[in-house]
This record gives sequence, structure tokens and C-alpha cells, in this order.
Amino acid sequence: MSSQPSAGGGPHARFPAGLRVLVVDDDATCLRIVEHMLKRCDYCVTTCSRAVEALRILRENKRGFDIVLSDVYMPDMDGFKLLEHIGLEMDLPVIMMSADDGKDVVLKGVTHGAVDYLLKPVSMEALKNIWQHVIRKRRNESKELENSGSLDDSDKQKKYSDNGDSGSLGIEENWKVVKRKKEGEEEDEFEEREDASSLKKQRVVWSVDLHQQFVAAVNQLGLEKAVPKKILELMNNPALTRENVASHLQKYRLYLKRVSGPQHQGRADSAFSSASDSSFSSVPSLDVVDLQALAASGQLTPLAIMALNSGPRSFFNSNAPFVNSSKMQPAMMHRVNNNQMGLLYGPSASMDSRQMVQAQQIYRAYQNTGHQVSEGAQGLLKLPSPERTSSSFSSGLISAGSSNSFVAQMNPQRQQISLPQHQEQMQIGVQQPSRGQFLNRVVVEHDSKISSTLGQQMVSNGVSNNFLVRSGAIINGRPPLQVNYMNMPPYAVPRALYSNVQNPHVSGTVNSSVIANTFTGMKQEAITIAQRGVEQIDSINSLKEVKDIVPNYDMFSDFNQSKNQEWKLQNLNLSYESSKQVGTQLSSIDYGFSISAQRDGNGIMKEGVPRNTCAMTKEVYSMTQTAIEHEKVEFVPQESLFAAADDNYDLESIFGRQPDTNGHVEFNF
Amino acid sequence: MEYSHLQRQAAYMKKSLFDQGYLNEQFYQLEELQDEDSPNFVEDMVTSCFRDSTRLLSNIEQVLEKCPPDFGKLDTYMHKFKGNTSSIGASRVMNECTQFRECCDEENIEGCLKSFQKMKREHAVLRQKLESYFQLLRQDGPVERAARASN
Repeated sequence: MSSQPSAGGGPHARFPAGLRVLVVDDDATCLRIVEHMLKRCDYCVTTCSRAVEALRILRENKRGFDIVLSDVYMPDMDGFKLLEHIGLEMDLPVIMMSADDGKDVVLKGVTHGAVDYLLKPVSMEALKNIWQHVIRKRRNESKELENSGSLDDSDKQKKYSDNGDSGSLGIEENWKVVKRKKEGEEEDEFEEREDASSLKKQRVVWSVDLHQQFVAAVNQLGLEKAVPKKILELMNNPALTRENVASHLQKYRLYLKRVSGPQHQGRADSAFSSASDSSFSSVPSLDVVDLQALAASGQLTPLAIMALNSGPRSFFNSNAPFVNSSKMQPAMMHRVNNNQMGLLYGPSASMDSRQMVQAQQIYRAYQNTGHQVSEGAQGLLKLPSPERTSSSFSSGLISAGSSNSFVAQMNPQRQQISLPQHQEQMQIGVQQPSRGQFLNRVVVEHDSKISSTLGQQMVSNGVSNNFLVRSGAIINGRPPLQVNYMNMPPYAVPRALYSNVQNPHVSGTVNSSVIANTFTGMKQEAITIAQRGVEQIDSINSLKEVKDIVPNYDMFSDFNQSKNQEWKLQNLNLSYESSKQVGTQLSSIDYGFSISAQRDGNGIMKEGVPRNTCAMTKEVYSMTQTAIEHEKVEFVPQESLFAAADDNYDLESIFGRQPDTNGHVEFNF
Repeated sequence: MEYSHLQRQAAYMKKSLFDQGYLNEQFYQLEELQDEDSPNFVEDMVTSCFRDSTRLLSNIEQVLEKCPPDFGKLDTYMHKFKGNTSSIGASRVMNECTQFRECCDEENIEGCLKSFQKMKREHAVLRQKLESYFQLLRQDGPVERAARASN
């Protein structure tokens, strides 16, 4: 209707002047007013009153606009739908407008990917600054490209560690980077992901054998030269498509990168026991029983280490500690080396005695695995009466990292799990816990035994690992049972990590992870926990809820057959104290990493396409309380962390599918 | 600047509209937007707004006549109405909108009807006052009006 968008589109020299805005609103008065205001801001404005028309305009001028402002309630098309379309097709930042300030509507905007939400009547002030969203988006995209394009390990690591220092923002960035990196790596993969996220297509199950074939093929070709096509040829498996291989390759590469860092540390002693369902492609067949390897699979150890090292506060506390795993690494390296750190995420703070006990239990469990607990680890485990560390970490963040690294760790060729390095790359978005609230991501880093136990559990329970990761909450405090690691299918972990955490395996793992949660100083409990099966979660006070989750899951016996079992974790109740924070994080969780939704420090949530919606309630262990309080907050993440498990592993989802919408939604408008 | 009698009257009127809560900050925003290029911007917007809002009111009335009324539709219309009136800063009307919406949520037909009547009244009153106001301004001439608008 009004001025035409500038052709060809580069940013105007006097940016933000010349910003090309498209306004969509069926209210003529409002439309004109906004138009006028935008013109006052020296923006280049186009208006239309119908969503359909807006789409048409956008399609015809693919690069003709920088940002879109849209009303929420429109007659022909819901504003949110339009938002989705734009995000998908044009990937432009979209700002929603409405007189409706109801929380649910605003949240909807967030979850659908709007970069902002303006309340009507819109003021000049509000419009003046919309250009920031354009910049932000571009920045993020370029970072993405940077990461995906670069194959330089050191760069990436550096990036991670750098980001780690910057706190939550860094974490988010890291996260995003990691996710985007994966996404950006191959176009096909991206498409596949898109498909996956939107269609939930059938996934190939990467069995141990299959993965080994894959690895063999890759090695034959040489990692740098390994291309999906050739790998496919070598593997000569009719059931595989090039896309399957491509995505698997991507994950594998990521995993390798993670492991290749602190190689000397945390090497898995042996392959992880086979995962229940080898749906984790990236996890090389794990024939290890050594939990260490598992635990050490980066995620755990570094996390645990960090958590441990930094004490309660750092427990999943801030992103920094985690990201700065390097700090911990040196100290813990040797310890971690053969330590299997269960995934223990746990707000160290406010660990009450129960937690302590649990932690101890876990600790012991680890010990039982025959690994020497490094001093540090021990020390960590022995966290004194939990301080109130307001370390509520965004579970998502942690998990995301962990799961990633975890899986990455599963490298049959590497016995070691380079945790430290892993850690670094772990995007553990542990956020400063607010008032001791934290999602339970218990990362138990300690005794290798335990870790191995956990590791195995984790591996085998890939899901649980994943679970933890995803939810960032300690799902069930059952420590991985020490036994039967051997029985775990090699890809257990990966699966656990990436699959919808519905795999009973996961629950087992989760339990252990959960236990890890409590791990600071809760030796006794830890041990107990560790030694208990899932069914025994009951005994863990703090993990009462876990009970519900995995009532009678015999981790070990079922493990091997549990492939097709539904995760009982669905009942996990993760409570978030700060629903907002957690919620946003969670909701923005990509499939894989549920919690690390936060993209950047602004609390921008990137809402991925709702993948597996599962009502996951997470338990949040309040750190501020002496007892482990479980606040049960019903959290319904966009994607269910524990979606119905399809046996196919879902690494992509874990790696964070890209949200279909045009980007993250900034929570802080 | 010299204020004629009419100008003073107009200014006074505007002030009282604000004081009595008929208008809010948003109205100032509109005035800010008025300039040489769009000298009648405020009036144009007000006119446009009343055109739409009157139509919406009659829509709402029609829905309310049915028994039981379609609350979903009511909500939608009300929402649009609110958005519309908010764009010129009609705060009293907007407050009634909120009331109305609450009654809608509760499916309180009585409440809805009452609230609707109030809304209509406020709407009519505001319209009248603004019309007088613009008339005053017009009498002063467009240039003066634009200048005054930025005061």
C-alpha cells in the first residue's frame, strides 16, 4: 500500500534508517498509525491488511524486507500462523502486535518464534528500536555460518570456552552455535532436520553393527574425505539413504570433535555397553562395560567436574563454570580420566541432607564400579552441607551440552572419553540458579566407578542421559546401577541422549543421573542410589518423584530389551521453581536439548518446532531449601523430552533442530 | 504564540479530556505524528477509529441479541474494538472493554449487557467531545491547528 521496499536490499547506509518494514494489520486505523510512526523513524514501510496479502508480498520480494510487524488477531489468518510461515519461508524477524496482553498470548508469540511482542497501542518508542531484532538475527545467523563452516577444532573449542566465560549469554550462544553448526553443516541434513522436526519421519536405527560399518567406511575414506555418498557406497546397505548417512556423519563428526579435545582425559576404557537400541549413530558401538567411558563421555565428567570443582554454586550454576570446564579439566582430568561420571546435574546448592545422601550414594555407586575416585571428585562429591547456591541451572543448557558430548564420546575407537574437552564444548547452560532452584541435572563426576556405572547406564540408557540432558532436571535420582553394563547395547547412550526419553533405558539412566543430582556430599545416598535399580528410587527421598516415573523398571534386565518400551519417565515431574526461566528454556529446547533453549543472554528463547510434545514435568530441586523440595510444576515443553520413543534414534533432534520459526523468541521484549 | 479565544478553548477542552480520563498518552502520540505533511492526521485517525469502532459496536450488539450469545465471537469483536479504540487513546472506552471481556470470560450475560451499554455510552460521549474539539481547531485554521497540535 505504501512505499515500496527498497529493491535488492542491503542495509541502508544510515541504518537503521531505511529499514524495510512490512506491517500487517486488519485494523485500518492502527495500520495507518503504525505506518506513520515507522516513517517517522525513517523506515521504509509497506502495509497490508491481510495476512495472505502479506505473504504474497513477501514471496514476491524475497529479500525486500528486513522485518515484519503483524497483528495477532486477523480475520483471514491467525497472526501466529503467519508468523510461522514467515519464519519458515523467509526467515525474517517478526514482531507481534496486539491489544491483548494476556500471558498466554504473549507466550504463544514467544513459542512461535516472534522476536518481540508489542502491546497496542503501539508507541513510537517501541517502534524506534525494532531494528535491533534485525541486527540480532543477522548476527546469529552469521555466527551460525561461522561455526558450521569452520572445521577447525581449535577454533570451535575456543569458541566454546570463550563463550563459556560470558555466562549465560555465552552458553546460549554456544548452544546455538552447536546446534546451528550441526544444522548448517550440510544442507541435506538441514532439510532432513526440517523434515524431521515437522514430520517426525521414520528414522533409521543405527545399530551397533551398522554404526561400526559406518565407522569403518569413514575410516577407510578418511574422516576429512568421508562424504555421505561414498560412505553409503561402502556400507552397501540398501536400507540406508544418503540422507541417513549424512546426518549420521554429521553427528559423528561432532562427536569426534568433542572427543578429540581432551583426549588424554577421560578415555573410555572400553566401549560402552551396547545401548538398548542402537539408535545412536554417533555412538560407536560400545562394547564397553566400562562406565567410565560412558560417564566420561565428556558430558558427565566435565560437568561433574565443574560442578564438583566449583562447588555448590557452580553446580550447574552458571554457564561459565561449565563452559569453563577447562578450568576444571586440568584438575580433574586425571581423575576424570577413567572416571565415569554419571550425569549429575545438580544444583549443588541447597542440597539438603537428603541430597547429600544421594550424592553420596551416587558417589559410592561410582566407587563400586571400581574406579578410583579422584580426590577431586571425591571432594566434589563430598560437598559439605550443601550451600545454598543459587545454582539453578537451566537444565536445558546442561543437558544439551552433555548429551552432545556424551554421545560424542561414544567412540568405539576411543576408549577414552575426553571429558574435559567435552566439557568445554558442553553447552551447559547452567544458569545461575535463582534461589537455589535448579533443574536437576545431576552430573556425577566422581569416582570412575560410579561414573562408569553411570556411564554405562547412561549409555545404555542413552535416553536417560538424554533425559537428563534434556530436561536438565534430575529426573530420577536413580543412579545407574552398577551392574549389567555389559548388557547394555552400545548405543544405549546415544539413544538415550537423543531419543525421546521414553526409553525405559533412559529412566534407568536418568535415575542415576538424578542421583547425581544430589550428589554433592551425599555419599551414602549416592551409593545407595547407585546400587539400586530403578525400582528403588523410592528409597531416595529426594527422588520420590522418580518413583513415579519408573516404578518398576529393572534397569538391567530390561535394558537390553527395553528398546521399545515407553519411557516411564513421562511421569517425571520436574518442577521448576521459576517457571518462566525454566519454562522458557525448556520450551525453547530443541528436541535434543530440551533445556538449553536459551539462545542468548537475553533470555531469548528459541522455540523450535514443537517436536515431541510431551508433558514433561520437571523437578526442580530448590536449592534454597534444606530439603530437596520438589516443586512440581507442570511444564509442558514444546517438545516433549520424553516423547513417545520411536526406536529410531533421534540424534538430530537432540542436536537441536532448528526451529521452524524465524528465530528465537526473545523473552525479554 | 498568540492564542485566540478559540484556541484557548480547544486547549482547555483537550486538557479536560485528559483530566477526565477520556484520553490518554496515546493521543499525544498521534499529535506528534501530525505535521505539515499530514496536517489533519489526528482528526483523520479519530474519524477512522470511530468509523471502525461504531461498526464493531453494532456487530457486538447483534451477537448480544442472540440468546445465548456467542461468547467466542463477542470476545473476538471486543478484542478488535479494544485495539481500535486504544489506537487513539480512548482510555475510558478501553476500560469498559476490559470489563466487558471479563464478563465474557465468565459468560455472564447480564454483566456483558451492562458493560456493553456502558461502553456504548462512553464511546458516544467521547465521539461527541472530540468532534467539538476538532471543530474548534478547524475554526482556527489548519496551520494554527498543526502548530497547536505540537504543543
